[in-house]
Amino acid sequence: MKVVGQNVQRFDIATKVAGGRKYPQDFNREGQLYAAVVWAAHPHARVRDLDIGPALAVPGVVDVITAQDVPVNEYGINYFDQQVFIPVGGTVKWTGDRLAVVVAETEAVARQAAGRVLVDYEVLPTVNDPHEAMKDRVLVHPERGSNLIKHLFIRRGDIDAAFARAEVIVEGHYETPCIEHAYLQPEACLGYIDEDGRLTLIVATQWPQDDIRQLAHILALPEEQVRVLVPAVGGSFGGREDMSLQPLVATAVLKLRRPIKMVWTREESIRGHGKRHAFWLDYKTACTRDGTLLAIEARCVSDAGAYESTSVPVLSNAVSFLGGPYVWPACRIDGYTAYTNNAPGMAMRGFGGAQAPIGYELQIDKMARAIGMDPVEFRLKNMLVEGSIALTGNPMPAGTAAKECLEAVARAAGWHEQAGHWHKPSLEPPAEPYKRRGLGIACAYKNVGYSFGFDDKSTARVELWLDESGEIDHALVRMAAVEVGQGVFTALAQIAAEALNIPIEKVRFAFVDTAGSPDAGSCSASRHTYVSGNAVYLACQEALARREAILRAETGEQEIVVEYTYHARSRHPTTSWDPETGECDPHISYSFGAQAVLLDVDMETGEIELLKLWVANDIGQAINPAMVYGQSAGGVVMGLGYALTEEVIHRAGRLHTRRLSEYHVPTVLDIPAEFVDIQIEKADPTGPYGATGLGETPLLPVTPAVLNAIADATGVYLGQTPATPERVWMAIKKQRKENKQ
Amino acid sequence: MWNNYLFAESVDDALSQLASFAGQARLIAGGTDLVLQSQRGQCPSTTMIDVTHIPGLNQIQMQDGYVLIGATVTHAQIASSPQIQSQATLLAQACGQVGGPQIRNVATLVGNVVNALPAADGAVALFALNAETQVASLDDHSQVHYTWMPIAEMYENVGVCTIDPCVQMVTAIRFKPLPPSAGSDFQRLARRRALVLPILNVGTVVELREGKIADARIAIGPVAPTPFRATRAEQALIGQPATEEALNRAAQLAMADARPRSSLLRGSQEYRTAMVEVLVRRALNNAVRMAKKEAQ
Amino acid sequence: MKIDFVLNGKPVSVEVAADDMLGYVLRDKLEVTGVKIGCGEGECGACTVIIDGKATVSCIYPAAKVAGRTVTTIEGLRSNGQIHVIQQAFIDSFASQCGYCTPGLILAAKALLDENPTPTRDEIMAGISGNLCRCTGYYQIIDAIELAAQRLKEGAR
Repeated sequence: MKVVGQNVQRFDIATKVAGGRKYPQDFNREGQLYAAVVWAAHPHARVRDLDIGPALAVPGVVDVITAQDVPVNEYGINYFDQQVFIPVGGTVKWTGDRLAVVVAETEAVARQAAGRVLVDYEVLPTVNDPHEAMKDRVLVHPERGSNLIKHLFIRRGDIDAAFARAEVIVEGHYETPCIEHAYLQPEACLGYIDEDGRLTLIVATQWPQDDIRQLAHILALPEEQVRVLVPAVGGSFGGREDMSLQPLVATAVLKLRRPIKMVWTREESIRGHGKRHAFWLDYKTACTRDGTLLAIEARCVSDAGAYESTSVPVLSNAVSFLGGPYVWPACRIDGYTAYTNNAPGMAMRGFGGAQAPIGYELQIDKMARAIGMDPVEFRLKNMLVEGSIALTGNPMPAGTAAKECLEAVARAAGWHEQAGHWHKPSLEPPAEPYKRRGLGIACAYKNVGYSFGFDDKSTARVELWLDESGEIDHALVRMAAVEVGQGVFTALAQIAAEALNIPIEKVRFAFVDTAGSPDAGSCSASRHTYVSGNAVYLACQEALARREAILRAETGEQEIVVEYTYHARSRHPTTSWDPETGECDPHISYSFGAQAVLLDVDMETGEIELLKLWVANDIGQAINPAMVYGQSAGGVVMGLGYALTEEVIHRAGRLHTRRLSEYHVPTVLDIPAEFVDIQIEKADPTGPYGATGLGETPLLPVTPAVLNAIADATGVYLGQTPATPERVWMAIKKQRKENKQ
Repeated sequence: MWNNYLFAESVDDALSQLASFAGQARLIAGGTDLVLQSQRGQCPSTTMIDVTHIPGLNQIQMQDGYVLIGATVTHAQIASSPQIQSQATLLAQACGQVGGPQIRNVATLVGNVVNALPAADGAVALFALNAETQVASLDDHSQVHYTWMPIAEMYENVGVCTIDPCVQMVTAIRFKPLPPSAGSDFQRLARRRALVLPILNVGTVVELREGKIADARIAIGPVAPTPFRATRAEQALIGQPATEEALNRAAQLAMADARPRSSLLRGSQEYRTAMVEVLVRRALNNAVRMAKKEAQ
Repeated sequence: MKIDFVLNGKPVSVEVAADDMLGYVLRDKLEVTGVKIGCGEGECGACTVIIDGKATVSCIYPAAKVAGRTVTTIEGLRSNGQIHVIQQAFIDSFASQCGYCTPGLILAAKALLDENPTPTRDEIMAGISGNLCRCTGYYQIIDAIELAAQRLKEGAR
């Protein structure tokens, strides 16, 4: 291969380093007005009255937009339980709900006037966590009858018999909090009516066409009358999958027929968009003394927050992965997601696949310890391979590379194998007497593409220009595969160049504009390289075939346009939950990962010093190895934040982590001194050039690897993340007390 | 936030302008705290008077046997100053851990002191250095009048300085340079390693004379409304040989006297109290180690 | 109030309110959109500019302070139609993904290398410890700055 597998320079990097790349807040339009949000003052309250008069009286204010201005006041990514504005008589359900938007000549006036809008609330008691919520004493959405949104389950094998004969049973309880995406670019949108009379939004979003679907419903417009342009996106990580300010700006523009710009502050960003679901996980797992897994009984509960968003797919993914990449002969799995008055749980890198490993990898580690078996050996003994039956009862496909990832990481971290037995390396003790050193290992896996029967598809438009001799002069790829920083423009262009057998310099990727870029599906589920990559590849094949026909017929045509829609389920159809057993074949493709972490625990303060981290990601085929490294490092460091420093704190529905000074993402001083990235290229035969997805996998094993390393150092497994110094210290202290008794 | 942004050309000018605004104005240097406070409605002043153009205030120098730090000296200058690194090591350490490089390039130590927060790293180090602040005021004849105040007297309560920043100006900080027979150390516990306020910070100075502790200072933050000196622990050390037992005992005493509260973002009372003992013990041991090395 | 200062090598004059912050003035009044606002409280470094040689967060820097000073933004690193060695090193090291932190980071790197042309890896990390990146995991950024230092030493422009 000439282009795939090369470190081709990123298409967008030159403008980014020069400062010329524009994000939505960098755009302006002649005659634009500015809009500011009136946010809900309470997490749960009935709106008795709304007085916009004082705001309208402020000089420079043009209008105040409320629920009355919305043609159809309902939307939602999966279920329409959200409203653009909470109307008088309606109920605010989280502090991110919106009452109104003030539009004015300047941003300063808009914000000042927004503070003048008077809202009369009847404050209601808050529902603070999903367990309490499931008692249905206070309903967040009374019209739905219950706070419980969904219960999923899997029943396979004779679990009671398995537990009865089990020699080793381990129980565990794990809690992992709500997490903030903290992308560097706060939400912003410039809306206007374009030359063709279309409502047009310049905004950072992960799926422009899905925004249009919802906006068309809200505004009672045909979808063709709505247009979305996506310039650079300053990171998303799932946080721009649901709409945030699009409905607000769209409603205002439609009413006032003038360009309107809205830019959120960081506080508004944290307040106004959903978060990673908090999860509670309970496990009871059993194995034999010789290390064979027998049974898993597990229950997970997630906090859906004020709106359903993607809580059901997140729960579905979590449930399908709840046992980890291992063979479980018998299982009893239950998952629940329920409404509360906290921030809505929404997509975030991992999507259920990040929370589950905290449970399963610690259970696996604990069982290995209980039988005195090496943690790598125990995992390998039970690991999924091609043809193995997964938790959901389906056989694992070709390209399953769980073992390859684990073995690669283990060897790199110093394990050695002898006659099928694995031996953890002995560790040099730290210099300081009050520190203990630990080496932890963890595995994880993720679906690539949308699951459970969803028709995951992507449409690629490839335009070829031929020169006089019929050779390809240049090619343009047009599709709404949003570049959020992951490198999708470059990767898809590389696939196109390879497929068309032309140098990369001859391929361009068009600016994402729904007026010309066909629907490529969402930038999520690690799917673009795989699903959109296949669409591009097949579009190129068709374009080449057309070229052949043109040359044979000597028509002299020099322009070829192909639009090809790739349906991922054509390669591997997926199914949804069986109503009796919960069994299914949920995922199109899988991506595996393993990590090892070497760290020191300061036994007196609980502080963690990260010494070295090894990561192996199953990528099938690296389209661009340097970009793969960047996604791997980025995912790992985001995972370290999840493991050690990040948690969104709600108290009675109010955020106590409102700013970046209060919500701590890793700085450059918080990363491991050494980082080793291993790219496992075990081809997925259904992916473009064997490639599979990567975006989420590097994040998933980090937290359990860190927790397992802490356990290796201290003998204590934490049951709650993040592993802050205080939590580590408390766990050590508690164990010392228990040991004395 | 504010309606006027003015510059002072001299200390006299700064004080006169303050007087002319009759309490509605205040002095600003780097502004890294004041800007945020103003944005959050916590600073009611409607005029800012910038002191960073006043000549002579951005120096670190020796004067009359004291290390003198001018009002507009930044955290970055202090952290990188060879003089501070050798003669007041803990202050260089403390100032070098505040925020990030950009903040340190602009934020002044004096501004930090006037802001009067108990967690302020520089201030905790200054407490252990027995520093003094030079306060400039206008007397009844509108003449500038300077007084030196011990740093502890600058702190009234959380965020409340005893001097009135709308009337007076802190023009310098001074302290005696640490002799070769003294060592110092600064310890900081935080949830990540940059851009973060501390859960706990400790500054120690230990002076040895003929193998015994001649002087010991232990400053801790934030365990009280103002930076806290563990005087009982200090007294217990003076006259003792600098053994591990003596230092450990002092750390225990410091823990007994420091009274941190439970905080949602900083941690529980139980944890923070226990960490006082750990950080004080480590800071004392490091200071003694440094003093012994210097003595060789 | 009117303030005069030197922006990217050229004198500029702009009308500002007494409580305007420099970052917003650069973006909104002078159309220098390479200055990015990430947090508005000086906690992320995305708005970093160089003022008289010092890296500074511009979102909490009063615009009035900049009178008479020299300010460099990412747009000012170009010279003779060429990008700066540091910018090229970022490209070659894949040190930018979403790009939002990139201008601030490059300027922090420039301020660091101008003051310390041969930094150790630890010194590089300290120099950019006021800049958050949520995409790259920082390793390629550190590599880029090391590469830039090396190339500058070898006499690249």
